[in-house]
Amino acid sequence: MRYLVDLDGQRVEVVLDADGVSVHGEHVAAHLADVEGTTVRLVTIGGVQHRVVARRGAARGQYALWIDGWRLDVEALDERARAIRDLAAASAKASGPAPVVAPMPGLIVRVEVAVGDRVVAGQGVVVMEAMKMENELRAPAAGVVRAVHVEAGAAVEKGTALVEFDDEDAA
Amino acid sequence: MRPARRRSDQVTPPRPAVPVRPLRKVLIANRGEIALRIVRACRELGIRSIAVYSDADAQAPHVREADEAVHIGPAPAAESYLRGEHLIAVAKELGADAVHPGYGFLSEREWFARAVRDAGLVWVGPPAEAIAAMGSKIAARTLAISAGTPVVPGTTEPLRDAAEAAAIAERFGYPVLLKAAAGGGGKGMRVVHAPGEIAGALAAAQRESKNAFGDDAVYVEKYIEGPRHVEIQVLADQHGTCIALGERECSVQRRHQKMIEEAPSIAVTAELRKRMGDAAVAAARAAGYVNAGTCEFLLDRHGEFYFLEMNTRIQVEHPVTELVMGIDLVQWQLRIAGGEPLPFTESPAPRGWAIECRITSEDPANGFLPSTGRIEHLHLPSGPGVRWDGGIEAGSVVGLSYDPMLAKLIVFDRTREAAIGRMERALRELVIDGVETSREFHLRVMADPEFRRGEISIQWLEARLPHLLAQRPGEETIRAAAIAAALLADRDRRGRNGRGAARNGSAADASGSAWAQLARREGLRD
Repeated sequence: MRYLVDLDGQRVEVVLDADGVSVHGEHVAAHLADVEGTTVRLVTIGGVQHRVVARRGAARGQYALWIDGWRLDVEALDERARAIRDLAAASAKASGPAPVVAPMPGLIVRVEVAVGDRVVAGQGVVVMEAMKMENELRAPAAGVVRAVHVEAGAAVEKGTALVEFDDEDAA
Repeated sequence: MRPARRRSDQVTPPRPAVPVRPLRKVLIANRGEIALRIVRACRELGIRSIAVYSDADAQAPHVREADEAVHIGPAPAAESYLRGEHLIAVAKELGADAVHPGYGFLSEREWFARAVRDAGLVWVGPPAEAIAAMGSKIAARTLAISAGTPVVPGTTEPLRDAAEAAAIAERFGYPVLLKAAAGGGGKGMRVVHAPGEIAGALAAAQRESKNAFGDDAVYVEKYIEGPRHVEIQVLADQHGTCIALGERECSVQRRHQKMIEEAPSIAVTAELRKRMGDAAVAAARAAGYVNAGTCEFLLDRHGEFYFLEMNTRIQVEHPVTELVMGIDLVQWQLRIAGGEPLPFTESPAPRGWAIECRITSEDPANGFLPSTGRIEHLHLPSGPGVRWDGGIEAGSVVGLSYDPMLAKLIVFDRTREAAIGRMERALRELVIDGVETSREFHLRVMADPEFRRGEISIQWLEARLPHLLAQRPGEETIRAAAIAAALLADRDRRGRNGRGAARNGSAADASGSAWAQLARREGLRD
């Protein structure tokens, strides 16, 4: 089975067979084993052990991996699934900048933009309070405010869309 | 071993003798790791302990380890851990003879210390009068000035408005620091670099302070650039002995929140330690201080130090002092409260080096936003020179009701370099699965050349953070992670197919995908 693994801005091809893996054309024995009674897995590659903790992400093949003292977001898909997702990603790109969503539950302290405002990438748009600290949420890219879904004083759940944008040239 | 209760022959009390009445039963008005720390000290001294808990903490380790435990209300602190009168009533009802407040919550509330005393209970901390003298930063400055302890130039009266703040800032020169009088932990603090920012910063500082402490008094001081945060631990008994127990350096801070602390400080010589210790003891004596307390200083590049404030309680970072001084500070808090005299009158010299990393449920890769969830698995580091002061275990639920600090990982070794190596090893052993934590951030700091050289100041982390977060793993880790991911994905794919086939023939359990079931079966979060 051939897997394409995206991590840390690169794509690594990993071919699995009965007794190991091939990476960059080099074959090595590799094995994944659970550590009983824990969520830890032991990945042994050519005799070298790596203790791994993995948490599934939103979509199939996506994991947060803790390995060797690093935390990495990875996406591992077989060839066919990889091709489908690449196509989906290309078509999603056309629909304007990502909205600002609440990264945690909390209170809205202030909304700093109104519908129709032009924003630059990194500009603060909403101030939220959580853990008694104020956190400024910023626009991910330049754009024009299409909708503001909250007002000061509102309590919001994690993941709530707060402000949506259109592309700059779309307005 | 139980400590000797006799007064040491070497100490001649200058005051009328205080009777030694060892505490029998202590109510711990706190939660999390510090509550557990106090339970442990009580048990070692043969004192019974009473834990209190909110709805959110019913299953918490500190509750289970105590001799007795009492439910005190719903999760919000204002309805549980901050209900001072209720806590005192509980203490009386259960026959406690003392209250230990820990840090945070009610620990620096003069009224609470007074109410505990008025109820006929022993307060494990300084007298209410000393808390009053040091509790407000403005009062503490005034007191320090009178004791001859150097302070940072600043105002002693709360600001009336932005115009007054701007006028004073012009006099000191920018940048200036706006600070909440009742503040702490970075809340209600703002650095102002230019006149245009001052009105907004003042409003934000007042709002934060009002929300966090119910008080919006804010004052302004000269902002000293590039200073280290160096604090002196003070311990005073009821018999007139007051000593300094060396320094801790807490320069690695983010938004005025300490992240990493160490003892001793690479910037402090024996001579400077003596001078800072004398200054701290002078300030403590001026306040009539008893029990454990900490004088915080800024230390500039030229070895000049300025008193900031005194924390009239046990500090989060007290373990680094315990390790290099060989003194159990929490035990001594309890022993001093019971009237025991300190067995030494001279400040000991530090032996070795200790470092503490605060393990928080914050996501460093995402602006340190708080992370919530259930701890699915916890593996603690151990072995030589490693200490874990934690308030979590597998199964603990991390919510948003309280501070995001989960635990403190502390190491001790002969030298700073060896301690850093030991901390790296301990962090690598640590597994916390279920929430994002500061673990990887600490690993990056331990590997950072500037940190390793000790070239740090209180602004260091803010400036260095982008560089730290941009660090990438080496080729071998990338390769291992890619292989691990492919093996995991392959197993998940096969598990899904296998279960899917079985489910197709069954009418039962239409809820949830095979994916979610697989996740549950494997103990993974879906």
